[in-house]
Amino acid sequence: MAEVILKGISKSFGETRAVSNLDLIIADGECVVLLGPTGAGKTTTLRLIAGLERADSGRITIGGYDVAQEAPAGRDVAFVFQQYSLYPHLSVYENLAFPLRSPARRLGKDEIDRRVRDVARMVRIDHKLENRSTRLSGGEMQRVAIGRALVRRPSIFLMDEPLSSLDAKLRAELRLELKRIQKELGATLLYVTHDQIEAMTMADRIGILAEGRLVQIGTPRDIYSNPANTHVAARLGQPHINLIPVDVLPDGRAPAGTRTVGARTEHLEISLGGNANAQIDWVEHLGDQNHLHIRVGDCKLITLANPYLPVKPGDKIGLALKNPLYFGADGNRMY
Amino acid sequence: MPKFRKETQVTSVTDTSSSILGKAAQATPAPLASRIRGISDRTMAWLFITPAIVLLLAINIFPLIWAVYLSFTNYRANRPNAPLENVGLSNYSRVLSDPNIWQAMQTTAHFVFWTIFLQTLIGFSLAYLIDRKFRGHAFWTTVILVPMMLSPAVVGNFWRFLYQPQIGLFNYIVSFLTGIPPSSFEMLGSVQLSPWAIIIVDTWMWTPYVMLICLAGLRSIPDYIYEAAEVDRASLWRQFWSITLPMALPFIMLAVLFRGIENFKMFDMVTLLTGGGPGSTTEVASITLKREAFESWRTGRASAFAIILFVAVFGLANIYVKALNKVKQR
Ligand SMILES: Nc1ncnc2c1ncn2[C@@H]1O[C@H](COP(=O)(O)OP(=O)(O)OP(=O)(O)O)[C@@H](O)[C@H]1O
Ligand SMILES: [Mg+2]
Repeated sequence: MAEVILKGISKSFGETRAVSNLDLIIADGECVVLLGPTGAGKTTTLRLIAGLERADSGRITIGGYDVAQEAPAGRDVAFVFQQYSLYPHLSVYENLAFPLRSPARRLGKDEIDRRVRDVARMVRIDHKLENRSTRLSGGEMQRVAIGRALVRRPSIFLMDEPLSSLDAKLRAELRLELKRIQKELGATLLYVTHDQIEAMTMADRIGILAEGRLVQIGTPRDIYSNPANTHVAARLGQPHINLIPVDVLPDGRAPAGTRTVGARTEHLEISLGGNANAQIDWVEHLGDQNHLHIRVGDCKLITLANPYLPVKPGDKIGLALKNPLYFGADGNRMY
Repeated sequence: MPKFRKETQVTSVTDTSSSILGKAAQATPAPLASRIRGISDRTMAWLFITPAIVLLLAINIFPLIWAVYLSFTNYRANRPNAPLENVGLSNYSRVLSDPNIWQAMQTTAHFVFWTIFLQTLIGFSLAYLIDRKFRGHAFWTTVILVPMMLSPAVVGNFWRFLYQPQIGLFNYIVSFLTGIPPSSFEMLGSVQLSPWAIIIVDTWMWTPYVMLICLAGLRSIPDYIYEAAEVDRASLWRQFWSITLPMALPFIMLAVLFRGIENFKMFDMVTLLTGGGPGSTTEVASITLKREAFESWRTGRASAFAIILFVAVFGLANIYVKALNKVKQR
């Protein structure tokens, strides 16, 4: 395992700037998760590190070595591709064994067999080892793809939305499993996802990408409670953060120049009785909690509430802010 | 009865979404054909394929059956009015015990083997090189395809000229490369060289065809497979043997099948270049067959020979296609 440093990396495809001036340090044994909307340059970043794309400018070092001249094989990375990329003419077993059969590795037959079976069990595919890889479901293919990365001990694992096509239960299981393996191996892992729960639970640090730029990077806690701008704030939190104009719910504490107020559930206080300034539009029952759709003037908000809160659509309630996030006209955070 | 029921239902519930759905459901199943002409889809399908079936019966199936019939008789096409006698299996036993025919079969096998071997080897190599997408690869692809587009008659005459010992370019180049005097050997006139002369021409003409099929195979391998292999640290050599070749194999096998069947009945090129000579060194099965049928006029025996060839090719091709399917399913 090794430390990976990206310094001033840029990559364009024709007119499109897929990655621009990206600085990122992934410490040895650290798990960094990249979050960003589609087209943000997440896949491109991983491909640049793997050497499948050449950067237009900037430096990439893996374990202290500048890898600019290295082909993918020389960089010793393991990659879980977004589109699985299994070898279609090989069985699951052979797919998993493929990286181990590299002559550079010189592993014995028994050692290969042991590692393949271990990994197959880890990703829950050991009952399909003899299947041809094209005869698998999408989720099974994805697990084989993850397994094919995990059989190796590379300098860094690069995973591009590896759990995206699994069902919720399996995803939760494998998420834990991956985190456990990463901890156990002390693996350096760069992980791309759209799923904020994955990001929050797996990451040592989360990096937020937008339009090829790294907007903010920090611990999950930090990104969640101290987003640098509205874009970052909107990426985390369920339900999504409410971004409302500053004059809708005046609290008298907004710094001068504030344009938008960001209010998550924990920033909103609901009071029943007393002077009402809001109305309940709709209540969604999620079981253990409720989503309240609230209207304040022309503004709609969504917040979580205890299911025993006695409200129904049409009710008038009092809504107040409690230490919300303030953003200026450019979307950046105001302090 | 149920149909009637449905209609009343639809009219009774007017102006609701369910009635609209009901009308739509009624309108959709009527196929275009039956609405326009009152012909069912099945009839229409038959109408379309009948001409093809009639043609197939008239020029393929009927002659085949007729040939099977003739192969049991002593029929001679130059004496159509002679009395026809059923001779049983004697035509077959004569064909199978005729050393000339066995000689011709051997010559054919030799041709088929070497042409396929060379065409596959060279064709695949060319496809592999062209697939690298170097600058101007489209131009070179077109250039390589030219021989295939020529008429065999042109190619045959053209190569006869090239093979001329005194003035032919082929002999000149060989002599330039090896120092052997150009008029010291005759590609078409020598017993040792004439089979190879034909193999060379056939390879020259049909390698592009094999290349094209192999190229289709190589292009069908997605780039991301190679990317995965590269990340998995597979060398170029290993990528070739464990990805490129196995994934292109069904295509290669298909090319081999097409060329095999084609060359088994090779006739035009041999006739044009050597006419089967010198002696009978290049007399392939199809030439023997033609001689039997249209020079000796032993139509019955020629038919028997043709049936034997047909069964042999058909059987071999079937076994081969089974193998091909197995490879594809692997
Ligand atoms: N090979 C390529 N050729 C041209 N443009 C490309 C290529 N690869 C990526 N791009 C462009 O670069 C930008 C970033 O793409 P990238 O695949 O990195 O996005 P992403 O963040 O992985 O998105 P997603 O979440 O949808 O996978 C996009 O605008 C995309 O259109
Ligand atoms: Mg992507």
